[in-house]
Amino acid sequence: MQPRRPPPPAPGPPRPAAPLLALPLLLLAVQGAAAPTGPEAAEWRPDTGPPHGLLRQAARAALHFLNFRAGSPSALRVLAAVQEGRARINAKKECTVDLVFTTEHYNSEEGEERLGKCSARVFFRNQKPRPAVNVTCARLMEKTKRQQEDYRLYKQMKQLRNPLDGVSIPDSHGHIDPSLRPVWELAFLGSSYVMWEKTTRFLHYYMAQLSGVKQWETNDGAIDFDYTVLLHEFSTQEIIPCRIHLVWSPGKPLTVKYHCQELLAPEDASGTEEGSAVAPTELSNF
Amino acid sequence: MKWILFFGALIGPSICGREKFFGDQVFRINVRGGDEISKLSQLLNSDNFKLDVWKSPSTFSHPVDVLVPSVSLQPVKSFLKSQALQYSVTIEDLQIYHEMDNIAGEFPDLARRLKIGHSFENRSLYVLKFSTAEGKRRPAVWLNAGIHSREWISQATAIWTARKIVSDYGKDPAITSILEKMDIFLLPVANPDGYVYTQTKNRLWRKTRSLNSRSPCIGADPNRNWNSSFAGAGTSNNPCSEVYHGPHANSEVEVKSVVDFIQQHGNFKCFIDLHSYSQLLMYPYGYTVNKAPDAEELDEVARCAAKALASLSGTKYQVGPICTTVYPASGSSTDWAYDNGIKYAFTFELRDTGHYGFLLPANQIIPTAEETWLGLKTIMEHVRDHLY
Repeated sequence: MQPRRPPPPAPGPPRPAAPLLALPLLLLAVQGAAAPTGPEAAEWRPDTGPPHGLLRQAARAALHFLNFRAGSPSALRVLAAVQEGRARINAKKECTVDLVFTTEHYNSEEGEERLGKCSARVFFRNQKPRPAVNVTCARLMEKTKRQQEDYRLYKQMKQLRNPLDGVSIPDSHGHIDPSLRPVWELAFLGSSYVMWEKTTRFLHYYMAQLSGVKQWETNDGAIDFDYTVLLHEFSTQEIIPCRIHLVWSPGKPLTVKYHCQELLAPEDASGTEEGSAVAPTELSNF
Repeated sequence: MKWILFFGALIGPSICGREKFFGDQVFRINVRGGDEISKLSQLLNSDNFKLDVWKSPSTFSHPVDVLVPSVSLQPVKSFLKSQALQYSVTIEDLQIYHEMDNIAGEFPDLARRLKIGHSFENRSLYVLKFSTAEGKRRPAVWLNAGIHSREWISQATAIWTARKIVSDYGKDPAITSILEKMDIFLLPVANPDGYVYTQTKNRLWRKTRSLNSRSPCIGADPNRNWNSSFAGAGTSNNPCSEVYHGPHANSEVEVKSVVDFIQQHGNFKCFIDLHSYSQLLMYPYGYTVNKAPDAEELDEVARCAAKALASLSGTKYQVGPICTTVYPASGSSTDWAYDNGIKYAFTFELRDTGHYGFLLPANQIIPTAEETWLGLKTIMEHVRDHLY
């Protein structure tokens, strides 16, 4: 591993403040920017309900946000099923979605079927990204176990030898070498922040593949690594490369800096997106 | 000429039953004399590598084509290098075509491989026709796969299904009775140029590889290029976009070839397009939220099929019309089929729901194909019982 060069200055829009709630023993509450109030115009008729796609969209946004803020690569969650939901849309086409959904472990290869229940309020500002999320989930993994798993992953990362350059994770056939599995999970954690930020009322993302992984030495023992993630964007079907820089230590806040490229030809508005965040310390106590 | 017979005897087992079709490569090995031939036969004779001779030479100066399974690539390369044998690696997508040829060869009374056209880069478009009544123009089912090249589970499922059809005919009452009434046409690689590109240059390539006259960007989305609300919602007129509809409907020769074939045939009753990913089973329309006239029946059939699919491993599929289930998409194959009189038109989005996405692990190919087969059979049984 090489010593880290001084990072370039991180540009990007200012982050909203993120007030925290007290943590009850069994529930984790994570709150993003508060949703503004305003006159609520249209609500979906009770007989039809909001489009199912909207509820899933809200669930995805909530989960990306939750995963990032929880900051634990061994306790990542994915959507199992949306159970119920309501939505309101106001005159400015801003959309508030309240929903209840179940989640599963992202990392479970052993086929464990534990489901965690979450409730969330997600606020989409018409077509703008960075939906405001307020999400509460029942704990899915016992705290000690989670800390142990995080630490195990941390040790595996520290034992990896560069160069990981030129390695694609997974490979073309979907195979991830067991020694590289921690890289994938940590990358998913960092990418969750990016995917949350980029999600809009109409666009959502999945992680397609990683490449260009480079790990740096640190003085304080943190994991510090750069990678390129290819995000698959729905519904445009575009593949968006994002360069991500992640710093993580078990039990400590996660730092993410990123730079994504939009690759359409000049006649479309193309540009780059950048952002960075640090997850608050207090959340690591759950 | 003894060695020619020897090579002939080495034309080994077909590649069916193996989990991995991909990553295998065809080596073209030059043999220029007796010494090289004996070195080569040493290699081919070895049980360890499971090599399959595709093309044995008729004279000394022609090369030998050998299919090398991906697990054997390294050792075989090392051997060739150590013996100073010259070789080159040929185009990788041919293993599906070779398997199609095998199937047609092994079951000549049931399956035939037909060429229906060629791609932009001049690769053949091959279809397998399954028929128990050659010469009659029976009502037919079209199974389309691999139109988006990065969706590898689609091509893999298709070729597994081909093998399944010929193996189960005469044994499984469902497929037997289906084939007594209808013909099945299967196009496993609807976009061969894209498919080769995903194997050689960019695993996540989706479109065709046609050149655009006024843009450096390549390819059009072949599933936005059909003549059904062409250039409507859910498409782009930017050649660099992944959903670029192309300069005009049927501009992509891969699409036009299928359209021409189906229209000339004139008796198709069912059209199924296999994609990935998302685990969805959908029916028209993609180009509008308006309900298709047969939406209720199609919804019921789709639900039945999804239930049959789930019965194997619990894999859950969502069912609904394309536009509201996934997103608006105009110029799609399924909408075109429906608007051209093919009532039973469906699109599958196969496994998974985003964990691996396009890069579905190879060990999920057979489970996916097996469960999908249950869904396909359900649909085809309904068509068989509701011919119009």
